[in-house]
Amino acid sequence: MAVEMASQSQVLVEEKSSVRILTLNRPKQLNALSFQMISRLLQLFLAFEEDPSVKLVILKGNGRAFCAGGDVAAVVRDIEQGNWRLGANFFSDEYMLNYVMATYSKAQVSILNGIVMGGGAGVSIHGRFRIATENTVFAMPETALGLFPDVGASYFLSRLPGFFGEYVGLTGARLDGAEMLACGLATHFVPSTRLTALEADLCRVGSNDPTFASTILNAYTQHPRLKQQSAYHRLDVIDRCFSRRTVEEIISALEREATQEADGWISATIQALKKASPASLKISLRSIREGRLQGVGQCLIREYRMVCHVMKGEISKDFVEGCRAILVDKDKNPKWEPRRLEDMKDSMVEQYFERVEEEEEWEDLKLPPRNNLPALAIAKL
Amino acid sequence: MSDNRALRRAHVLANHILQSNPPSSNPSLSRELCLQYSPPELNESYGFDVKEMRKLLDGHNVVDRDWIYGLMMQSNLFNRKERGGKIFVSPDYNQTMEQQREITMKRIWYLLENGVFKGWLTETGPEAELRKLALLEVCGIYDHSVSIKVGVHFFLWGNAVKFFGTKRHHEKWLKNTEDYVVKGCFAMTELGHGSNVRGIETVTTYDPKTEEFVINTPCESAQKYWIGGAANHATHTIVFSQLHINGTNQGVHAFIAQIRDQDGSICPNIRIADCGHKIGLNGVDNGRIWFDNLRIPRENLLNAVADVSSDGKYVSSIKDPDQRFGAFMAPLTSGRVTIASSAIYSAKVGLSIAIRYSLSRRAFSVTANGPEVLLLDYPSHQRRLLPLLAKTYAMSFAANELKMIYVKRTPETNKAIHVVSSGFKAVLTWHNMHTLQECREAVGGQGVKTENLVGQLKGEFDVQTTFEGDNNVLMQQVSKALFAEYVSCKKRNKPFKGLGLEHMNSPRPVLPTQLTSSTLRCSQFQKSVFCLRERDLLERFTSEVAELQGRGESREFLFLLNHQLSEDLSKAFTEKAILQTVLDAEAKLPPGSVKDVLGLVRSMYALISLEEDPSLLRYGHLSRDNVGDVRKEVSKLCGELRPHALALVASFGIPDAFLSPIAFNWVEANAWSSL
Repeated sequence: MAVEMASQSQVLVEEKSSVRILTLNRPKQLNALSFQMISRLLQLFLAFEEDPSVKLVILKGNGRAFCAGGDVAAVVRDIEQGNWRLGANFFSDEYMLNYVMATYSKAQVSILNGIVMGGGAGVSIHGRFRIATENTVFAMPETALGLFPDVGASYFLSRLPGFFGEYVGLTGARLDGAEMLACGLATHFVPSTRLTALEADLCRVGSNDPTFASTILNAYTQHPRLKQQSAYHRLDVIDRCFSRRTVEEIISALEREATQEADGWISATIQALKKASPASLKISLRSIREGRLQGVGQCLIREYRMVCHVMKGEISKDFVEGCRAILVDKDKNPKWEPRRLEDMKDSMVEQYFERVEEEEEWEDLKLPPRNNLPALAIAKL
Repeated sequence: MSDNRALRRAHVLANHILQSNPPSSNPSLSRELCLQYSPPELNESYGFDVKEMRKLLDGHNVVDRDWIYGLMMQSNLFNRKERGGKIFVSPDYNQTMEQQREITMKRIWYLLENGVFKGWLTETGPEAELRKLALLEVCGIYDHSVSIKVGVHFFLWGNAVKFFGTKRHHEKWLKNTEDYVVKGCFAMTELGHGSNVRGIETVTTYDPKTEEFVINTPCESAQKYWIGGAANHATHTIVFSQLHINGTNQGVHAFIAQIRDQDGSICPNIRIADCGHKIGLNGVDNGRIWFDNLRIPRENLLNAVADVSSDGKYVSSIKDPDQRFGAFMAPLTSGRVTIASSAIYSAKVGLSIAIRYSLSRRAFSVTANGPEVLLLDYPSHQRRLLPLLAKTYAMSFAANELKMIYVKRTPETNKAIHVVSSGFKAVLTWHNMHTLQECREAVGGQGVKTENLVGQLKGEFDVQTTFEGDNNVLMQQVSKALFAEYVSCKKRNKPFKGLGLEHMNSPRPVLPTQLTSSTLRCSQFQKSVFCLRERDLLERFTSEVAELQGRGESREFLFLLNHQLSEDLSKAFTEKAILQTVLDAEAKLPPGSVKDVLGLVRSMYALISLEEDPSLLRYGHLSRDNVGDVRKEVSKLCGELRPHALALVASFGIPDAFLSPIAFNWVEANAWSSL
């Protein structure tokens, strides 16, 4: 009963004629997605899809975050108690939600007025419309946590222009609303002061046809200028370096660029890569590269295999260590193992992409058949 | 051009506004009742792990392949376009020949800048070679022109320097070639001589006063022809020429000559003309070259096999001119290896498209008012595509095996590589052409649209049956080699060893009179039939030739006379070698669904090969009843492979973007709104 109550209060539902407004409501935790929230969202999204009276779903966050990610601290507690399979349940529900959103037959509008990280990207980027504001801060910070960009990120990051996805996914670089719009992670940019009016207008949508919502959104959208130091101005360097075959080659390409001109952005980028977990960097790069060639369903199935290996910790325990250093002890000094990139061998990387063998009743992620697959997938970005 | 497009678009938009919605007064025409695309994935399930199967088929460097696929997709140079909500990358074949050549060169620069060619000539060993082969294969899946232009530069020019040249050449050229500081081509074929390289007419003499070679094109038929890279881009070429020293012809030798300066202007004493527009492969600038007493330094003779001293003396470690010529030809094997495997990837593209389309396109109802039937649910459509699918699988293993023996080559395996690569190159490229034609017809009118690829690929890949050795000539090489092996073993009374002929040492296999379904699917039976056929043809061929030889005819003439048996024999040899590679791959697999499906595929390959070969009936190895049973079993296997069709093409691992719009939502790709 109490759990039921929590999931009810952690996701608020408003009914405005044909529109449903869902608010992530765990502001103290920056709306980090708990297991209950994910189950509740999944249940709501599936119900709305069935309900012919619902034409549009709006998703937003209470407070200064849209959603700071999945509640990985809880997962790490499970792992430490020898129960990574509980964590696996969490991720399988989360990825299922991502999949339902990616193949949703109705328009989802996500209002990203604040922090959007990791799992927060997973519940928004797959939807039809993503509204950035001047308050938006986007990042996929998983490589610094010993994880990898999951929640279908290997699908949407790999479809960004050039090799910007590799850059965002490997370095955990933060993007603002203007940058999100420029690279296609956001579809619109609306100043936060106009959000209330926009929401009211959207509530008049009475059709499944996304062009209605699109027309309204277009009336509100602005085209902000990219800030001068924006990484998006450096696409040429990003393409030259992040296109390389291996993480080692990416770093040496960046170092070559750095010797040609002293540049704060390049050294910050190199620093970010050197601070991140070597295991995470290698599996993330491979995941994005594979994801580029796969549908969203295949991406999530692969990521589920990977995340199970990450939790099981047989090849590397960086996830537990990263969470300790960043989220629990907050000493920001994780001890990665393997410590160096060259110690993370191809054969070790390979294992993350294989089935989890010799594990009782472990199964690949099973996704339901969906009609809306796979068209639209790219047009959205 | 873009103005026109903008204008047209404006018209389209204006029409939308003026007409608002299309008339929908007739309710039976409303959208719900119209045909809708339904992705095959919705109705077809995967009965085995397609990732495992893909690893098996690609055989090596899967991650590297995915990397270069991604490199091409993320660049605007590769003609990205959206159709039906999906991204495709494929060259614009509507560009002029000159435009296609320039964009092909730009694509190569892009791949170079991204490190694709790193180590292609400076790294050695099987691992480096396999990576290079994998990357080249993916180039060819994008566009045959890219892989041919890259192949000419690295595998013909580069390998010639590497294998015919010595240290001084390696130091001077290899790294520069890898970095495209020089752009190489390979001038062997002449107007008057193609497969018969020993007959070329270009002549080189030596001038001891200046220590230079002088290369000359003595007549029009000696002009170098089809030289890839020569028409626009190449700065240097390998020249094959007869070498005359003091009035003695020492046979064909290879030289390095510069043909363009760094600005791209043609050098003095060189004339170059274009080969013109071709039926495909227009991204490759094939040209013709004439040498007018071109002088090159003495060091430019590639002297691994033979050299000329500064005072003009000819020295060679190989005295026998036949062997010397053989040593020169050896590096050409790499071309046949890459062609064979690239042909199979082309067939994979064709089949992926045609089978995906046949799982979403319907035609005719079987019952009145009933739903129309999916193309691949027609047994006849299955019979057209699924045996080709099984052959493509089998030949995929064959191509992998060929690559493996090539990268692990030793002087002892050179002969086997020559024979196997000749047979595989011919059979695999013929198979590709046959497959593409069937796929083109199987997708109907959509197949003639260039953007749907299957039709276009026919023109792009057709030349594979001719270059690096005409297929028919290569097949003759196979039967000649088998003949020589047979004669030599019999003469010395030694058991057969090598070329897969060991089965000839065992008693002749006896086939059962009655062929049941389980017999036909038994790998032992299949092997027996293939061995029996090869053995019988080899014995017939050798005895016919020997008999006539006894009457005083020359062996060469008798080979020509017995061309029918010779062709049957080469085909039997090659098909058996292919079957063996599938059996080997199958044997390595643990029990499970991948192995089970591969078993079906192997049986289909074996039985369709038997069904299509009249020689079994002709020589009485199979009875009329037997042949009828084989035919029935093929049709049964079609039904059993049908549920796996989607998974089998998904296992080819060719990314969606490298297929074509009809493989996906062809309704939306053709919708008015997408104009």
